[in-house]
Amino acid sequence: MRNFKFKRSLTLIAVTSLLSITIVSIPTVAQAAPACDGKSPVQSCVGATSDGAPYSMMVPANFNGTVYLWSHGYRPNIPVPAGIPGYGGYTVTNTPEPGPSAAVIGALLAKGYAVMGSGFARQGWNANSAIKTNVELIGTYKKQFPKTTKVISWGNSLGGFQSQYLAEKHPELISSAGALCLSSDALAISDTAADALWLIKTFFDPTIKGGNYSAGAAGYAEAMGDLVKVFTVIGHFQAAIAANPTAPAWPATSKVPDALKAVPSRSALVLTALLTGVPMQSAHFDSTSAPAGIPAASALSFQLAINPALAALENVANAAALATFQIYDLELQTGGVWYDNTATDWAARVADERFIWASALSGESATNALLGYLAAVPKAKANPDARAKVSGLGTHTGISKVPTVLYTGVADPILGASQQQSIIDKHDAYLAQQWPANREAAVKKRAVNNLLPLWGIPAEKYTKFTAAGSPDTTVAATPGTNHCNFTTKQYTAIAELLAYAADNGKHLSGGALLTKIRKAGNMTYDRGYVAPKMKN
Amino acid sequence: MIRKTRAKGTWLVATVLAVGSLFATALPAHAETGVSSSEIKLGITLPLTGAASPGYNKIGNAMNAYFKYVNDNGGVYGRKITLIQKNDEYSPQLSIAKTNELILKDKVFALVGPLGTANYTSVHKSVGLAKRGVPSLFLNTGFSGFANKKSYPSSFMILPSYAMEAKIIAKFLKENHAGKKLGIVYQNDEFGIDGMGAFKAAGTKFDVTVAYTSGTQSAATAQTWVSQLAAGGAQVVVFFGVTSATAPLLAVAAAAKYAPQWILGSVGADPLTLRALGVPLAVLNGAQTPAGNPSPNDTSDEYVKQFQEINAKYNTGTAFDDYVLQGMNIGLMTVQGLRAAGSNPTRKKLISAMETKGSTFASVAYSPLGYSKTSNVGHTGYYMAVMDASGDRKPFGGKVTLYSTDSGSGQVVVSTFKRPAMPAKGLPSNS
Repeated sequence: MRNFKFKRSLTLIAVTSLLSITIVSIPTVAQAAPACDGKSPVQSCVGATSDGAPYSMMVPANFNGTVYLWSHGYRPNIPVPAGIPGYGGYTVTNTPEPGPSAAVIGALLAKGYAVMGSGFARQGWNANSAIKTNVELIGTYKKQFPKTTKVISWGNSLGGFQSQYLAEKHPELISSAGALCLSSDALAISDTAADALWLIKTFFDPTIKGGNYSAGAAGYAEAMGDLVKVFTVIGHFQAAIAANPTAPAWPATSKVPDALKAVPSRSALVLTALLTGVPMQSAHFDSTSAPAGIPAASALSFQLAINPALAALENVANAAALATFQIYDLELQTGGVWYDNTATDWAARVADERFIWASALSGESATNALLGYLAAVPKAKANPDARAKVSGLGTHTGISKVPTVLYTGVADPILGASQQQSIIDKHDAYLAQQWPANREAAVKKRAVNNLLPLWGIPAEKYTKFTAAGSPDTTVAATPGTNHCNFTTKQYTAIAELLAYAADNGKHLSGGALLTKIRKAGNMTYDRGYVAPKMKN
Repeated sequence: MIRKTRAKGTWLVATVLAVGSLFATALPAHAETGVSSSEIKLGITLPLTGAASPGYNKIGNAMNAYFKYVNDNGGVYGRKITLIQKNDEYSPQLSIAKTNELILKDKVFALVGPLGTANYTSVHKSVGLAKRGVPSLFLNTGFSGFANKKSYPSSFMILPSYAMEAKIIAKFLKENHAGKKLGIVYQNDEFGIDGMGAFKAAGTKFDVTVAYTSGTQSAATAQTWVSQLAAGGAQVVVFFGVTSATAPLLAVAAAAKYAPQWILGSVGADPLTLRALGVPLAVLNGAQTPAGNPSPNDTSDEYVKQFQEINAKYNTGTAFDDYVLQGMNIGLMTVQGLRAAGSNPTRKKLISAMETKGSTFASVAYSPLGYSKTSNVGHTGYYMAVMDASGDRKPFGGKVTLYSTDSGSGQVVVSTFKRPAMPAKGLPSNS
């Protein structure tokens, strides 16, 4: 296998891309009523809820009575020093975000809908406080605009969590909900991310602290130091795989036994992805393609072993980076070490995948050696109280009490398919429990299936190669991959589905539904589709 | 685009009524996915291109040729069979995508002959075949795990398992190569592991063990295998892998003048394909191999003769080899399965028919079939064969001695099973 060069660094979710698209002046103290500019055709209002969270409202002159409440995604609650890939230069902000993009907001306003959104009082994992903020914001809006008849809640990522939560706990406040690329429960998503970081630490750099951060500035420095180390490992792999795709060198920081280093390091990377549960398709790597024009044997090897390693690299990078922020934040919130893998059965997690990805894992013997090492090393042990507190930072029942649209790319690096599936599973379990109960109670109307799960499925092959045969990562992430990688068309289609559901108390169905999602592109409705379950 | 899958099933009835022709109304109206009044759609995923494709890429066309023959002779209860082949390039990820296409877009009635162990494992897990109730017949893989009825309720094997094969080779080694230094090269996944587990259970101890990762087979890697085998002094070498790995192994060994007694696992031992991949005839001469089917050159065999005729007419220009024979035979068994499911076949009826009648199907292989309500095991045995100077395969010892066993701790026994006769003109009439 020849070597190759990347045209640029692998894709990382840029925090800046998740930030506000509408800059407004931000009140710093709670206001009894929003301050509105009275302009036409669109009036803008700003204010702050009682917790100090700034909000923004945009209301068209022809307001039709329905307002969309947008909840923005995760923003780290600590600044990131310049120079760190993807995140460097980030500063904490609570700028309000009334919609996913200016184009989507414009389209909704043009149809007479109003939009609003908060910047929330705190960043990081803020599920509980954000819910309170949103509940108050809905009340404030209705008071300011009494013509309001319906509120549609929607959001992505952590905002998807909040929207789903409103659908479960406050159906009296909203008419429909959209949970996009949503985060599942606080503990589940945090464990998923933390698993990735622990595995990188264990395989590639044991000097990564990975938690139990010190108090104050020292702890912040430790967390940022971990972030740098994660990206150093990622950068090493990018260079090492490019130089020797078949047998890339192990990072110099790795302290695994020399015997284990006989296993290609890329296989440890693939195992990290599989154990974490991140998908094996990433923004640029489909785990199937090979450069054109190389010998058939090399092409097969690239398809089965190298491409999956690169997909793992892109996705694990995102998971481990999120873990650094999440571990630090949750330790501050809970007062102790919360990540625990003392009961984790790593081998059981890959009981099936080890066969599916046998080539990428370099075969059974290599897989057993890597798993054996994980079984032998000391585990991460939590403070039980801290861990219990993380559970209290937000949990879904899955029981949406208003029509709820779910949508995610199945190859979202960390949030997405398995998390959406967990909501579906909980909801299905609820329905299975309710229907017999309804029959016994002679209730004529069955419990309603309020979920409309939609999926973004990547193309079979999408990895691009340069004329020289190197992977080209300068192209945009393919639909169905990356985090919340949705187009304006897709967001607009979701908004329209939510409006229909709000107006009719049920989801659009049949041919009309299929036509709408077909026109949106890369949006699939398939009740038979079952995404992989979360690994923890 | 993947769409909602639940068939409403009313459109077909309406169409039939609207047409109103005598012929159309004489056919049973039907409402099962992939079955119309005139057609049954089936699908298969396999590598049609790429390094792993040699040999395997003939199976689909061979099945198709047999189906065309059946179609020209009235089809199955008047319905013609359409086989849709999808190229997965031997990539599990592509197998998933292509199977999704077959089920959700092409709306096939059933899968027939899907190929590759890792491929089928990933498909079954990710596509949800069992949950969807999609029959998956005659898997082109011998991983014994697929015989687990609980895990794979809608899947049916056809090949004897790799564990069975290893047990039979183990017995052969003990009886014919006792005292010699043994080596083995095996694919280091569930294919090879299945076999290695059975060798271990049978007490076979290899002096040299070489594991290779699927997808890494090449002349360069084969060089390392041969070096290890030669250095270890292996006099008898068992190879448990795919054809695209057998070929470089034998070619490199020949170039290095390393000439042990080769025992080639059934999956990677088709002489015609090996020769096409550059293995000298002289190297194949004397190689021993377990075989389930007669030689594709044995025109005294009624199955082979009939299939050769069909191949000549419907698969023009394709050399008749083990893979073509296997594809034709899967076609034959598929038609029996469809017939057994009745004139109004549903997926459930097909699965039920496989369980209750599948073990009686006519098949070119010499060993019994194991289908029942509690088992989806296919064929259950092999005979040992030897390749000759012409590249043909002859029974070891001059006559077929069939060994039958299971994938567990059962004994390897000489079977007296009498293979069912080929249906007249190769056209099943079972019900």
